[in-house]
Amino acid sequence: MSNQSSQAEIVRNSLNRRYRKERRFRLYGMLAIFIALAALATLFVDIIYKGHSGFVKTTITLDVPLDPEMMYLDDPTDADQLSMADFVAPIIAALQEHIPEAETAGQKRELGRLLGSYAASEVRDLLENNPDLLGTTQTIEFLAHDRVSTYVKHADNPRYSIKLSEQQQRWVDQLLEKGVIDTSFNDVLFSRGDSREPANAGILGAIVGSLLTMLVTLAIAFPVGIAAAVYLEEFAPQNKFTDFIEVNINNLAAVPSIIFGLLGLAVFIGLFGMPRSVPVVGGMVLALMTLPTIIISSRAAIKSVPPSIREAAEGVGASKMQVVLHHVIPLAMPGMLTGSIIGMAQALGETAPLLLIGMVAFIVDVPGGFFDSATVLPVQIYLWASASEQGFVELASAGIMVLLTFMISMNALAIWLRKRLERRW
Amino acid sequence: MNTMNPSISAEADMQDQGPAIPVRENNPEDTVIEEGKTVGKPFAADPKFKLRNVSVSYGKDRAIKDISLDIGRNEVISFIGPSGCGKSTFLRCLNRMNDSIDICRVTGELLLDDEDIYHSKRDVVELRARVGMVFQKPNPFPKSIYDNVAYGPRIHGLANRKSDLDDIVENSLRKAGLWDEAKDRLDSIATGMSGGQQQRLCIARAIAVSPEVILMDEPCSALDPIATARVEELIAEMSESYTIVIVTHSMQQAARVSHRTAYFHLGHLVEVNETNKVFTSPEHQLTESYITGRFG
Amino acid sequence: MPDKKDDVYGDHISHKFNDELMALKSEFLEMGGMVESQVDRAITALVENDGYLADEVRATDKKVDQKEIEIDEEATLILARRQPTARDLRLVVSVIKMVSDLERVGDEAKKIAKFAIKLSEEGQAPRGYVEVRHIGNHVLSMLHDSLDAFARLDSEQALRIMKEDKRVDEEYQAATRTLLTFMMEDTRNISRCMSVMWILRALERVGDHACNIAENVIFMVKGEDVRHTPVEEAEKVVGR
Repeated sequence: MSNQSSQAEIVRNSLNRRYRKERRFRLYGMLAIFIALAALATLFVDIIYKGHSGFVKTTITLDVPLDPEMMYLDDPTDADQLSMADFVAPIIAALQEHIPEAETAGQKRELGRLLGSYAASEVRDLLENNPDLLGTTQTIEFLAHDRVSTYVKHADNPRYSIKLSEQQQRWVDQLLEKGVIDTSFNDVLFSRGDSREPANAGILGAIVGSLLTMLVTLAIAFPVGIAAAVYLEEFAPQNKFTDFIEVNINNLAAVPSIIFGLLGLAVFIGLFGMPRSVPVVGGMVLALMTLPTIIISSRAAIKSVPPSIREAAEGVGASKMQVVLHHVIPLAMPGMLTGSIIGMAQALGETAPLLLIGMVAFIVDVPGGFFDSATVLPVQIYLWASASEQGFVELASAGIMVLLTFMISMNALAIWLRKRLERRW
Repeated sequence: MNTMNPSISAEADMQDQGPAIPVRENNPEDTVIEEGKTVGKPFAADPKFKLRNVSVSYGKDRAIKDISLDIGRNEVISFIGPSGCGKSTFLRCLNRMNDSIDICRVTGELLLDDEDIYHSKRDVVELRARVGMVFQKPNPFPKSIYDNVAYGPRIHGLANRKSDLDDIVENSLRKAGLWDEAKDRLDSIATGMSGGQQQRLCIARAIAVSPEVILMDEPCSALDPIATARVEELIAEMSESYTIVIVTHSMQQAARVSHRTAYFHLGHLVEVNETNKVFTSPEHQLTESYITGRFG
Repeated sequence: MPDKKDDVYGDHISHKFNDELMALKSEFLEMGGMVESQVDRAITALVENDGYLADEVRATDKKVDQKEIEIDEEATLILARRQPTARDLRLVVSVIKMVSDLERVGDEAKKIAKFAIKLSEEGQAPRGYVEVRHIGNHVLSMLHDSLDAFARLDSEQALRIMKEDKRVDEEYQAATRTLLTFMMEDTRNISRCMSVMWILRALERVGDHACNIAENVIFMVKGEDVRHTPVEEAEKVVGR
């Protein structure tokens, strides 16, 4: 009896120690999660902080007198005249309306530099398309020069160097006061391709390029991956050869992606002579890279279909193929889809193999098909991040945000699909 | 008890104390079984299944050792025996469910109505339509109740019109005693039913393709006593029109539902006899030891 | 030899079950002992004209009845809890049947004791007591042997008891004839002789019950019911 009570005593004493240990253990776990969350939050805050201004454009709205004499242009339909005409003069004239003090040629030149270098061609395009407007005065919204934009957005931020002269700064302040210079949502970002000028650069080309590439990847990797998984799980005989294949599929999943790029370069472009920098080749390379992921996750999904369901179907006389088509694949589909989408998300973020097959080129036009030169989102971000102009830095961050949004929506889709298709048994 | 007869009381005392370590007269583990020898009545006059010298091996392991047995028409026969004695393996030979295991090899003569079921030209799909199976764990498809029952008739093309299929589903559910419970929710998912209902659904699914034989692999081991009683009642009703082979771990169940009982031991068929005989006075020492709870 | 046979009910996986069956068996043997001594003392009371002893015998019957109820209950509980099969089932079922045989034997002993009291009150009547003593010893040894056969699961001994029963019957017939002769010789003997006849009848019944017990032992051991079958049939069953 006393022995028992003393034992209870020992247990009680050890209990406190155990509780303390448990609390400590839980604390470690919470700490780890906190660190992870903090890192994530820092990343997001940094990107949003840097990138949010990328979604803002700076515009200068001017009443431009389209005076034929000023432009040395009588007939806008004449290509020769158009190429010789001076479209900067009316813009400067319009600016002078607001800044009367700029009179010397130097001052006028400085005034003209407030606008982006595409301002003149904008006027030209307008006249070329609408020759009737010659001689009238038109209100045109121009994109401000990158330097003006930086000044307007980041005048107080020491990390940005302001490259405007003091005179220009004064003028910009004046124009801001008058409401001539204004900021608004950057629709340019989502409606244009890349550009040398940050103010004029858009991400649409990269988005379309990414979509085309992903379509190719999906079209190749999904059916091939699922077919391979179904064959390996359901039909392949168990022997050394299939074991060998299995091991190699697992190894492939761990191969660095740049190797796939080299393979694509050597085989698709070198051997088959396919064009460089096109979504088809990019998609094929990414499909190769994604295949092991899809095969492995699909096999896991097929394996998780309970054998009792298979037996039940076989028991009522279903053939092997009926068992697979009627029962195994439908039940494994959520898992297969999830694996595929996660594989695709990985492919979406992949840069290295695409660099090798030339999808890193500077491409202004939005690609219109699978065989047009294109670039993809992560490569575009890479390009901008390594560009020298300050305006590109915020664009790169904005691009990252767009890319992340894509990733998150794809993962959300995966989760939704799984929840939707998943059935209990 | 001074009134007791001295000699008797001495006997009684001796029993009370007993030997310190029980001396086993017949240790079942030591008993050598002669291969292919079965006591009792393994043969029937008009057999549905005629099985002769059946052996099954998994690679080098012999799971079934030279078993000969007849299963009569419309007979309920139960297979009992300790775990790993091969009774399930043997059951699965009867509709070739072992086919999917690569290393499994079946030899001997297995005739269903005098046709070799392991003949190379024999279609296993047709065989399984004739020999249905119900499994240990209720395993309805994660589909509607209707689709579960209709699945077999659909893949075999038994019904050409929707109304025919409806009839088959209704009849099967009625035979399985599930119609009253299920008729109002034929479209609801089958996995939402109780365990006993699911098992009866599986039986309905098996009889929907109108098989001649139904194999049951421990059909009640996952069910509560009431559900078990329902299934047993069903087996009794079905025995009028089907041949039923049931593997069970519950000896009481075997005693209740079956006409004959076969006792398996380490891959041998030790004894086959009328169920009544097996459970009151089995012929073989091993059968006796097993059913009285001396090993197993 | 007996040790080994006893072990037949003692090697279940469940030790509790072993204990229950063993207890049932020894309770039954205990009751057998009680009944056996009851018959023995009833005869002694009669032959030695001992009214006290006869009274005692009658009193013992209550205990025997009590024992019967206990054993029945135990057997019922085993049936309910363990669902015994084969050998175990046969033991329990046989015990249930044999217990009622034993109880009847007790009743017969009580009857003999009643007559012993009656006869002792009427005075010494030596006629017929030789036969009573003779048949009494015979059935007593049968009863003892049948319980012994049960204890040792000895079907051959049980078979011997079945054969013995025939001889008891013959002896009973002979004794009846002798008593009839007494009655014809002297009609004053009729009343006493009738009492002795009743006693002989009771003893013969005891022999029948011993024979029933022997038949049940054969059923327990061999699994075949030999009641209402010729002895030759039973011989074949035991010989198997």
